[in-house]
Amino acid sequence: MPKHLLKFAGTALALILAAGTASAAEKKLTIGVADALTGGGAVYGLPQANAVKMAAEEINAAGGIKAGADTYKLDVIAYDDKANPTEATNAVRKLIDRDGVKYILGFCCSGSTSAVASFIGNEKAVMLVGNAAERSITTKKIPNLVRTRPPADYTGAAAGTFIARKGQKRIAVLGALDVGFYAQYVDSVEREIKKVGGEIIAREVFSLKDRDMSPQLTKIRGLNPDAILVVGYVEPAAFVYRQAVELGMNIPRYGFTSGSEEQFLRVTTSEQMEGVWDLRPTELTLESASKNGVAYHANYTKKYNASPSPSSPYAYDQVYALKAAIETVGKAEDTDAVAKALRTIPVPAQVVMQYQPVDGKMFDANGQGYTSNGAFQWQKGKWVFVEELPSDSKAYSQFLSTLQ
Amino acid sequence: MLIEILQQTINGLAIGGVYVLIALGLTTVFGILGIAHFAHGSISMSGGYLTYFLVTGQGLPVLAAIPIALAVGVLLGLLVEMLAYRPVRHANHINAFIVALGLTMMVEGLNLQLFGHEQVVIPTGLGRIIRLGGITMPELRLYVILAAIVLVAAMMIFVERTKTGQAIRAVAENRDAAILMGVNVQMIPLIVFGMSTALGVAAGIMVGALFAIAPGIGEGLVVKGFAVLILGGLGSFPGAILGGTVLGITESIAAGFISSAYKDVIAFVVMILVLLIRPQGLLGRAP
Repeated sequence: MPKHLLKFAGTALALILAAGTASAAEKKLTIGVADALTGGGAVYGLPQANAVKMAAEEINAAGGIKAGADTYKLDVIAYDDKANPTEATNAVRKLIDRDGVKYILGFCCSGSTSAVASFIGNEKAVMLVGNAAERSITTKKIPNLVRTRPPADYTGAAAGTFIARKGQKRIAVLGALDVGFYAQYVDSVEREIKKVGGEIIAREVFSLKDRDMSPQLTKIRGLNPDAILVVGYVEPAAFVYRQAVELGMNIPRYGFTSGSEEQFLRVTTSEQMEGVWDLRPTELTLESASKNGVAYHANYTKKYNASPSPSSPYAYDQVYALKAAIETVGKAEDTDAVAKALRTIPVPAQVVMQYQPVDGKMFDANGQGYTSNGAFQWQKGKWVFVEELPSDSKAYSQFLSTLQ
Repeated sequence: MLIEILQQTINGLAIGGVYVLIALGLTTVFGILGIAHFAHGSISMSGGYLTYFLVTGQGLPVLAAIPIALAVGVLLGLLVEMLAYRPVRHANHINAFIVALGLTMMVEGLNLQLFGHEQVVIPTGLGRIIRLGGITMPELRLYVILAAIVLVAAMMIFVERTKTGQAIRAVAENRDAAILMGVNVQMIPLIVFGMSTALGVAAGIMVGALFAIAPGIGEGLVVKGFAVLILGGLGSFPGAILGGTVLGITESIAAGFISSAYKDVIAFVVMILVLLIRPQGLLGRAP
């Protein structure tokens, strides 16, 4: 071979190697967020999207995701699904088909999430669900889907035990009972209070857009319940608490809402909220938060000039779970392997929520994660963590595996 | 039982007051100009948002913010008439219909851009609760009912007892005859829109103080407003007052005694039943 040809081949080889090394050194991994950024679900969805962006920035600042020889810097594209099934389907299709995204996070609300879950199994993409609590999302055995938030009935059972222990027998329910997971929560509560001779004496309904609950509350007042249980989105729930006081209902008020102090105080006064219980996954409350939780709260508040909603770390934790899974696999391109790895990783050290791993893993075989449940009470202007509600994640995981 | 019925009636009166104000605005525009002004609800919410901004952003007392918002409401009404509806006044009715739909989307979008997606509640500082026997009533609801009565009375006096009011009624009865009688028919639509929007803004403020203002609330309210219009009789002021009150109380009683899940459905069923018996509405004139 002539000498100059050898030289050329050598230079070309060196260039190819150099290029290869450069791409191995740093790659961009685009992750998508489909969540409610506007509309009624935005109280949950927007903080989730913010949390994903914050986690991505933190990971990038710490050097990115190191997988095998590659390092991935995260880029986030967020689309508004308005908590609407059609919008969510469009948003996810856009992420997969147009933007080439393989990892989709967020998902605050059950209706929109269920719509995406119905087809995600056919896609070369991984779906990480956050705040959406509808049980069926993780009963379909979808291999490329995991969820950080426990199903509503897992929490409902713990809540029912707590209410039964408090001694109230006649409970009136007012809530978004046309939403599956809220109804599941109430069913679980009912099962537990029935064990001690209690009963649900009324199931009154409100919708996401309802703001005047006085007709339902007047009806409930006429039934003389021992307590009311409010299950639903923060905004209508806040009106229930306020209007119950306005109607002179001086009985214990339990709830399942996961709203922050700031969200409630937009509608009610602290005096009107005094004594209200929220029986929910422990989530983010400063008093019960780990070191990570305290740091998350401070960083989020500084970055977005607003307190994070208690449920927003579900999305933050998704990013760190994804990071751990990609690092375990050693590459981000193999979505099947990453989806499998998600079901094998232990709880990453950086997460905010307090997970109850099943057999040492963050997600069980159904792709379901479990956090502890807690009883919070509104005391003098803020939610105070009163006690943890005993919950058996392993037993529930086995129960979940039996469902289709 | 009696106490519950009375309580539900009182509950329904406050929201009924809001329906009356919305419906009066709609019926004025529809009865006199023949325009189905769908953007009325969204513009009303803009007034509520403005009051919220003046109170929380500028620190004005709510009683000072309300007249400013009402005055801005009048101006908004004039602008809407001049810029949106006047150009299509002599065109086919479908043009005004499309303008109304477009305007609704535009105002909703503007509200979203200016005030965000979060619901807002206008702080009033009125938190006392009045108790009478077994009936309770927050003072805010009482003031809302009283304010609605005052506004309705003021409007009735304006329409029935003033020269401008007579001119408005004359145009509504017979536009050509009104022109022959020397009525300035160019001014009437402006006055009608100004008055109607001010009433809508008052309703928006009430909704914002009693409940909350949020994207989409105005659209729901305007649907109820049109339902009241049909229930009371198209173009009839007393019909709008009666229809709004009936709808508010029916919703409340239906939610309390039948099912809260069908609150809206039951209200519309009542409307259909009334129309089956009286197609012209409760106080509408038979054709």
